[in-house]
Amino acid sequence: MDVDMVEEAEGTSRKIQVRFVTKLKPPFKVPNSVISIPANLTRFGVSSVINSLLEATGDPDYKPEPFDILIDGELVRMSLEEFLAVKGISVEKILEIEYTKVVAPRKEEDPALHDDWVSAVDGSSSRFFLTGCYDGLGRVWEGAGLCTYILEGHTDAITSVSVINHKGAGTCTLATASNDRTLRLWKLNLDEAIEHPMKISAFKILSGHKDTVKSVGTQTSGEMICSGSWDSTIKLWQTEFDVEGDVSIKKRKVKDQDEESQLEGEAVSTLLGHTQHVSSVVWPQRDTIYSASWDHSVRKWDVETGKDSLNIFCGKALNCLDVGGEGSALIVAGGSDPVLRIWDPRKPGTSAPVFQFASHTSWISACKWHDNSWFHLLSASYDGKVMLWDTRTAWPLSVIESHSDKVLCADWWRSDSVISGGADSKVCISSQISVQ
Amino acid sequence: MKSKMKKDSKFDEEFQKSQQLTVESDSDFGYEDSSQDYGSEDSYASSEFEDGDSSSSGDEDHLGDDNSKDAEAGKGGPSKDEDFTYTGGSLALGVANDQEDGSGDSEIHQGVETDSSEDEVAPRNTIGDVPLKWYEDEPHIGYDVKGKRILKREKQDKLDSFLASADDPSSWRKFYDEVNDEVVELTKEEAKVISKMIKGHAPHSHFDPYPDYVDWFKWDDAIHPLSNAPEPKRRFIPSKWEARKVVRYVRAIRKGLITFDKPKEEDGPYLLWGNDSGSTEKSNHLAYIPAPKPKVPGHEESYNPPLEYIPTQEEINSYQLMDDEDRPKFIPKRFTCLRSIPAYENYVQERFDRCLDLFLCPRVRKKRLHVDPDSLKPKLPSRKDLKPYPMACYIEYKGHEDAVTSISVEASGQWMASGSSDGTVRIWDVPTGRCLRRWEIGEAITCVAWNPLSDMRILAVSAGQDVLMLNAGLGDEEEQKKIRELLYVEPSAPDNSDGKTLSVSWHQDDKHEALKLKHLKTVTAVEWHRKGDYFSSVMPAGESRAVLIHQLSKKFTQMLPYRLHGLAVRSTFHPTRSFFFICTKKTVRVYDLLKKKLIKKLDTGLHEASSIAVHPGGDNLIVGSKEGKMCWFDMDLSSKPYRVLKCHPKDINNVVFHRTYPLFASCSDDSTAYIFHGMVYSDPNQDPLIVPLEILRGHASSNGRGILDCKFHPSLPWLFTAGADKVIKLYCH
Repeated sequence: MDVDMVEEAEGTSRKIQVRFVTKLKPPFKVPNSVISIPANLTRFGVSSVINSLLEATGDPDYKPEPFDILIDGELVRMSLEEFLAVKGISVEKILEIEYTKVVAPRKEEDPALHDDWVSAVDGSSSRFFLTGCYDGLGRVWEGAGLCTYILEGHTDAITSVSVINHKGAGTCTLATASNDRTLRLWKLNLDEAIEHPMKISAFKILSGHKDTVKSVGTQTSGEMICSGSWDSTIKLWQTEFDVEGDVSIKKRKVKDQDEESQLEGEAVSTLLGHTQHVSSVVWPQRDTIYSASWDHSVRKWDVETGKDSLNIFCGKALNCLDVGGEGSALIVAGGSDPVLRIWDPRKPGTSAPVFQFASHTSWISACKWHDNSWFHLLSASYDGKVMLWDTRTAWPLSVIESHSDKVLCADWWRSDSVISGGADSKVCISSQISVQ
Repeated sequence: MKSKMKKDSKFDEEFQKSQQLTVESDSDFGYEDSSQDYGSEDSYASSEFEDGDSSSSGDEDHLGDDNSKDAEAGKGGPSKDEDFTYTGGSLALGVANDQEDGSGDSEIHQGVETDSSEDEVAPRNTIGDVPLKWYEDEPHIGYDVKGKRILKREKQDKLDSFLASADDPSSWRKFYDEVNDEVVELTKEEAKVISKMIKGHAPHSHFDPYPDYVDWFKWDDAIHPLSNAPEPKRRFIPSKWEARKVVRYVRAIRKGLITFDKPKEEDGPYLLWGNDSGSTEKSNHLAYIPAPKPKVPGHEESYNPPLEYIPTQEEINSYQLMDDEDRPKFIPKRFTCLRSIPAYENYVQERFDRCLDLFLCPRVRKKRLHVDPDSLKPKLPSRKDLKPYPMACYIEYKGHEDAVTSISVEASGQWMASGSSDGTVRIWDVPTGRCLRRWEIGEAITCVAWNPLSDMRILAVSAGQDVLMLNAGLGDEEEQKKIRELLYVEPSAPDNSDGKTLSVSWHQDDKHEALKLKHLKTVTAVEWHRKGDYFSSVMPAGESRAVLIHQLSKKFTQMLPYRLHGLAVRSTFHPTRSFFFICTKKTVRVYDLLKKKLIKKLDTGLHEASSIAVHPGGDNLIVGSKEGKMCWFDMDLSSKPYRVLKCHPKDINNVVFHRTYPLFASCSDDSTAYIFHGMVYSDPNQDPLIVPLEILRGHASSNGRGILDCKFHPSLPWLFTAGADKVIKLYCH
């Protein structure tokens, strides 16, 4: 489409020999031939070259698509000439340029409106996403405007939500943590045809924390959950209905009317070690829990022994934590400063972050790795922005500025959307993000 | 011999005739009376002759032989006849006559100097050996061959001869030869020879006494040594003698017996009359300090200055508009002649000023210290090393509708309470900035304070004349129950029954489910004791009841049994001991509540103290004042401030210490908060270290008020500031 421009540029600058490669599927595959393009092309120019190539080879109703280009596994954010000069790559030999679709939301869906600040979202289930709100209600949404369930029961603001077993086809278990010092477990039957929205109440109340619970994390198998609280402890809880039976079953009348029985659970074990508010917990592997705290540390706990096997000191109070990325081992954490830090615990002898992303202007409230990608992650900040990052470049891939106030939570959903909730009582859904 | 005798006789006859008159009879000689009467003055010759004549011829012969032999040997004999005739007299002449002597000298030189011919000339006179004296008075001298008299040269007059010699430049070389009766003139060369001989030099002028040495020996080509002897051993071994000598010198140098003169430094050019400028710089004795010099008059002071010095009328008019200091002291004027110059009107005044100058001039030499101003700054550690401390604002807590007057952070750091002039109290969630709860009190809030116990979340609020104990509603049911019990007081009418009016009445406030302490006067500050049971309230207008201590569990109020001097501003409890601090406008008093006595009185030196904070260690406290000064007291050290920090241009509203980090902060009406590093060492000998760290800005000023309150987070190095612009800000590290 911009062949003219390309040709124009050709006249002035020197050319480099390139070959385009991609991992994309056929409609976006260019012939594996060497072509020469001007060296002063930027990402946009290269993208238009690829598009024109595709247009020439492919079907006639091909729609141009913006591409990101990578050279030697690094995203190019300047002109090719400058990039090669900076990296010291010879311009004489044939350059292999990999191209991928630009990771940016192409569509802003209608916001899911809440009555109060949205404090937590979870999009780990592809069928729905779960939100927690400061009005004490959890909500299950199947789309932007489609609220299917309302989780009613917490007496104070919900601070964290988690979908426990999203693999199961029919029923699904949810966990919510709240400022009222309890966690509640909820059961959904997704296949049931119901009239929306349907209010349900928790089947189990987990209490034991001495202060507000700020975070909940689920084991991959879904048997257990862990919670971090302001009382500096991490508690582990059983989720299963049946296993519960041999612990202690208490039938408890809910005050006003319902004769519905609610189970009350107690903590299986408590992990002591943090000296301050545990702000975030994740349970990525069967035996390991990672936690971030306001005492400036990230710890890795062994569930069996209850000891922390790793202690990364960061220097800032931390708000959020996630584990994922390359080899599912990188730890990303953000806190009371605008810098998103990524550590590689496999690196011996150092606790210095391997990446530091500093484009936000205020506290970082949420960070999440993409499920399927090694490189992509998102971060949400009190400055009202959600940023998408690729570890292969130091600039944000895209900035989502749909919130008008603090963004309190964000998550990936269906691996191509970002859902974020904030202090403007909205859950914004930015979809059609083409992460491979 | 006979001929000779004959000649002699002739002589004698002539002589007798000429000299009879002059010759005097000499009594010494006994021969005068004998035959011949020609006894002359030359007694030698005469006696000889007399001997020869009178005694014996044999003797005469002897004599004559000897003489002749002598003459022949010595002179080679000029002429035989003459020689013989002279033999007797040659000796006599040699002694008596200088002229003869001179001729004799020249004769001696004959052998060497062959050239000189003059002296070889035979005596030309004919008188022979007779003394010249005999012809002294005669006009002639001798006789020629024919027997005629040879006339003497005409004698020149002395005057003429002098004149002649004066005219003749060579006269000094001329002399008169009496014997030959002629004037001899020496040549210049001869005169030189004579002068050289007189000086003792070699007479010949070409003789070189110091010829150049010519070394005829050929040194270069000698391939063989002069000596064939082998080199002696001593040339190859170090000399012991020299070694000893060196040792002796070394010792002498060490003892100082030998000193070396240091090479004298060459004096460069110097000012002959000394340095003009530093003429007064003389050290270690009383130096003369010259009086200040008056200004020397210049051209403009002349009675007839050049025209360019004379100001125009416009300029003179413009002088009138100037300040007195800027106006020139003297305006030049022009006079045609000296006569027309009037008396100088300022004379007396200027003389007087000059006398004053001389009299009042401080004749003391001021020592000027050259100190690098940077070196006077205290060495403070770098700010980077003192991290963490609050730096940037990330969270704002918005919601109040008027100036936020007071804030307080709950013990766990999760909640924060604020009171505002709009009459509301709010509780905020610290990490998210969400307002959790809100009470409408109705009156402007002056102070909020959380109970320091983490499981007893009661908020003490002072508004107007009331102090309210609010239940924050946090915590589980057990805690709520406990708090509710604690805050319950029976509606008590009988309280007033004991007659005297209590300063405080405890009520139940149903509206807020709170406990209400009604005071008589406006309460400005509430402060909790660390154990959460006691709290104090300050009523500045309460006079003797200005500071009250309440006990929550017993609902009991007690007054302090001390008299307060001045207006109470704030009060606070000691963090560890049973001490109580009352800050009045000028002093801080420390009381021991158990012993009930005054322990210490700290003199702030401030005009109006506004706030007080005690270091968690308990030995240091800071006092902020309304003139923007902050005093740091080390109570062990002195009752005077250890440091006074003057940083705010406006009133300081609050000062606060961090509980765990070595930080303290002050906030002021100039909309800034200052963060300081205040390290107190456990070593009592080490003074506290105070380093200013950061100025926190961001609040807007409203009605001349800036930041009204500031509090640190209990566990993190964060600072909350409450502004008059209705916003609370959180500054994080």
